[in-house]
Amino acid sequence: MIRVALRGVRAHLVRFVLSVLAVTLGVAFVVGSFAFRSVLSATFEDIIATTVVADTYVRGSEPLAQAPAAGGGSVTGFGDPREPVPLSVVDDVAAVDGVARASADASGPVVLVGADGTPVVTTGPPSTALPVYDDDPALTLSGGTWPRGPDEIVLEDSAAATAGLTVGDATQVVLGDAPQDVTVVGTFSIEASAAGAILVGIDEETALATFAPDGVVSTISVFAEDGVGEEELTARVAEVLPSGAEAVTGDEARAEASAGVEQILGFVETFLLVFAAISLVVSTFIIANTFSMSVRERMRELALLRALGASPQQVFRSILTQALVVGVLGAGVGIVAGAGLVRLIQVVLAAQGMEFGGTVRLGSDDITVAVAVGVGVSLAAAAVPARRAATIPPVQAMRDEVAPERQTRVLTVVGTLVLVVGAGLLALASALGRSVDGVGVSFLDDLDPRWLLGLGAAGVLLGALLVSPALARPVLTTLAWPLLPLRPLGRLARGNVTRNPRRTASTAGALMIGMALVSVTGVIAASTQASVRSIVENEVAADYVVDSATLTVPEDAVAAVENVAGVERTDPVRLGGVASDDGDVTLAGVEPGFFSTALDVVVDDGDPDGALDAGEAVVGRIAARERGWAVGDTLTLGREASTQVTVGAVVDSQIVTTDLVLPQSMVDDLLPPSQQTVRVVYVTAADGTDLATLRTDLQSAVEPFVVLTVLDSEELASSFADQVTQVLAILYALLALSIVIALLGIVNTLALSIIERTREIGLLRAVGLGRLQLAGVIAIEAVMISLYGTVLGVAVGIAIGAALPGVLADEGLSTLAIPWDQVLGVFGAAVVIGLIASVWPAIRAARLPVLDAVTVD
Amino acid sequence: MSKVSARGLVKVYGQGDTLVRALDGVDVDLDGAHLTAVMGPSGSGKSTLMHCLAGLDRATAGTIVVDGTEIGRMSQRRLTALRRTRVGFVFQSYNLVPTLTAEENITLPLDIARATVDRAWFDEVVAAVGLENRLHHRPAELSGGQQQRVACARALVSRPSVVFADEPTGNLDSRSSAEVLGFLRRSVDELGQTVVMVTHDPRAASYAHRVLFLADGRIAGDLMDPTQQTVLDALGEMAS
Repeated sequence: MIRVALRGVRAHLVRFVLSVLAVTLGVAFVVGSFAFRSVLSATFEDIIATTVVADTYVRGSEPLAQAPAAGGGSVTGFGDPREPVPLSVVDDVAAVDGVARASADASGPVVLVGADGTPVVTTGPPSTALPVYDDDPALTLSGGTWPRGPDEIVLEDSAAATAGLTVGDATQVVLGDAPQDVTVVGTFSIEASAAGAILVGIDEETALATFAPDGVVSTISVFAEDGVGEEELTARVAEVLPSGAEAVTGDEARAEASAGVEQILGFVETFLLVFAAISLVVSTFIIANTFSMSVRERMRELALLRALGASPQQVFRSILTQALVVGVLGAGVGIVAGAGLVRLIQVVLAAQGMEFGGTVRLGSDDITVAVAVGVGVSLAAAAVPARRAATIPPVQAMRDEVAPERQTRVLTVVGTLVLVVGAGLLALASALGRSVDGVGVSFLDDLDPRWLLGLGAAGVLLGALLVSPALARPVLTTLAWPLLPLRPLGRLARGNVTRNPRRTASTAGALMIGMALVSVTGVIAASTQASVRSIVENEVAADYVVDSATLTVPEDAVAAVENVAGVERTDPVRLGGVASDDGDVTLAGVEPGFFSTALDVVVDDGDPDGALDAGEAVVGRIAARERGWAVGDTLTLGREASTQVTVGAVVDSQIVTTDLVLPQSMVDDLLPPSQQTVRVVYVTAADGTDLATLRTDLQSAVEPFVVLTVLDSEELASSFADQVTQVLAILYALLALSIVIALLGIVNTLALSIIERTREIGLLRAVGLGRLQLAGVIAIEAVMISLYGTVLGVAVGIAIGAALPGVLADEGLSTLAIPWDQVLGVFGAAVVIGLIASVWPAIRAARLPVLDAVTVD
Repeated sequence: MSKVSARGLVKVYGQGDTLVRALDGVDVDLDGAHLTAVMGPSGSGKSTLMHCLAGLDRATAGTIVVDGTEIGRMSQRRLTALRRTRVGFVFQSYNLVPTLTAEENITLPLDIARATVDRAWFDEVVAAVGLENRLHHRPAELSGGQQQRVACARALVSRPSVVFADEPTGNLDSRSSAEVLGFLRRSVDELGQTVVMVTHDPRAASYAHRVLFLADGRIAGDLMDPTQQTVLDALGEMAS
């Protein structure tokens, strides 16, 4: 029996190729996710190993409240941010016996202006300035000299290449506040690849002045003299430290840094694997379809085997054996393809200046998982057709007529139920999320709208898949209606796609999943943009906003903006983080009057301006809900519980997303200036000032700071919306894979149904149907299947999307917007997908020799 | 003048050891408004002859003229057009399109050619095959005899120069066979059609005006106005 199964695969190789390809794509995605993670992991491990090189690190013993949106980060940073240590500790540590050198790690964000006069922008990796020492073991001078004084810098080799700067060039950097003119006096290399980060070396004094102005620094690197071990050194250093500081060994620091990186990479991997799973589900449809058609076609052969004494189990096993072959082949090719894919990504990223040094490494675990997934998907998909083949009575199968399709009524009823329940859950989720008090039924109010949304979405999708065979005939008949005048092509094509609704439905089902996800994404995108745009536009009361590409506006720039003629008032927003009796909180410091001049927010409770005047806190709606704060509550802030503040108002703002908004004077009491960053500055014009002139003046005032832009409220709204668009572009790209697999499914179904219909096609050709006409029939079939899947997918997607604004209202998705132009575009894409899918089957059909086709048995 | 004629027709399959001469120098002239039966044992080349005459298959050598046109040099495109306009087919296994109704199947060649349906002729053909009440049924809802009559009607509706029928009664019981054969004969006598029918059933051949006998790829006999008995006698002579 096994031999029969294997011969079957070999004899009908083409038929299985597309199934193998479907498995391959899914597995390649899975493997690619693993491999991508391992490449990133290896790159960051390299960076950590070559940048966290000290034998001992001194740092604060208390974790620091997380500051929001501080621009850039430090490559040498590891673990959670901590309270800083005073610079005086450096000398104490340097005096310890066995210490070769102790240096403060005063590094921080920098903006480097490239050879073309514009700031060097990276897409993700930080731009960091770090102090360099002549005897720093982590860095090697590759050209020029080390910097001496504030007007000299050195650049890491890849940063120099990206910026287009060479030794001796004059340029500008923005270090801390002010832009300064500097000369590139040298280049240096690090042992690892910089992974796209821009590393700028500056001399120690400049670094300390810039990044440790109040005499504190986050970490101190300590290097041992020869013969002194890490452990021993750390113990000795620990003895001289003041309270509030601790010493850790280099190994511990490296482990912490790795753990942090691994956690982030874990999220990336999970995110990618979700999309891999979607492709695999779509692949399942194709494989199931292939096997059910192949079983149908071979019914007589299988019946012969049964008649010769093969048991149903043997038939079942023989088909599963074929599935096994498909799965193993697909997984094998997929592993190679996945590794190749990541290699390709590496090359592309490297071409864009993001060098990832790690090689593609796949552990045996990864390969096992990939093979298991490929084989599992394949076997699961083939199980139902195999069972059908095994249980059919031999006599029935021997008859000339193929067994009629089984009733789909039960599935339809079940599907309708699932669909209705799913839709109900969606409606409930939307209602719960929208209302503040719930729907009035206590057990329902306790449910999390997000879980309901997830369950409802799954229900609607599953229900639609189950109902789809029953819907196929009426929907396709309607879709085909405009084509009927195209006699006889339209009618023939309609007949072919409605003749086997279940097959059409499962072919379209693969596409439906992808299209549903695309539609949901589209609805989210349009709704978010509509919501963000309207809210941001309405919320900004100031005339202009000064924003920074580095997310930090230099203090000097704030002063420069204040001095522009015609400026009535500036409202800088300073961000910081602080401990409280309710965990760490993020806060924003603003001047009283902020909520009338800068932002005009939705007030849920209390009076925000009054609260700021009275020295009280204004809290955001989300924080209020999550932490249970209400007007009148008292919060205790600061490590030593130094400050008590009363909640004076609850507001709903899309722009200020910190937990607390406090009067600036109170923030100054809580945090030293080095731990505050100015995020944006709102500018209000004096009465009678020409806004266009003011804008020009503002632009020239901030121009020296290189990274600052002046926006009006509409532009600010657009910049918010653009961020959303960028994220969604990635989602679309990942979803495209599932659509490609669905396209393969249509090719597959058409190709197989042409084999099934050989005689009919021969007849049509015999009575005079031309090849182009035949190709036309097949193209129309493909387009109709594709449109059918898309119609269902878009309907499901919009249904799910419609529930989102209710559930995600707090995240700023308050307005439902359905992108109708995009929906039209999706239908256009469906037509194109159908046409592409029909090319190969149509050629195949047109090439069938008429005589063979007519006389085939 | 003859509707279909062939001269020196040769058809060779395979090569070397597996070479088969299915047709070995056949000369025929088939008259218009005649029902001609082609008979012969299995492997005698009768189906091959019909496929070549109908333009479904290319002869290795020889010339074929259908309705005054030489088809041996025709491109596939022109052959397709020829089949669409000048030739009708009836197959042994009906070969209807299962997704179309009887009426749609009958008008299919006209639809493909984008020609308008001559309603009067359509009604006449449908009445002749006795399918007036079955026009909106699908093939699966028709009996074998009815399906074959639909196929006959389809072959005639475009008023082809010649209809080729390949074992049209091969899958039918005797009653249905009689209906179909009676119709084919009437279509010649009353509607003036030309029909060529391949069969190995002497009773079916007895409906013809003329019977051609084939053996080993050559014409082995020619019988006018046959009866079942004279056909059987002729076959007996050939076998001996």
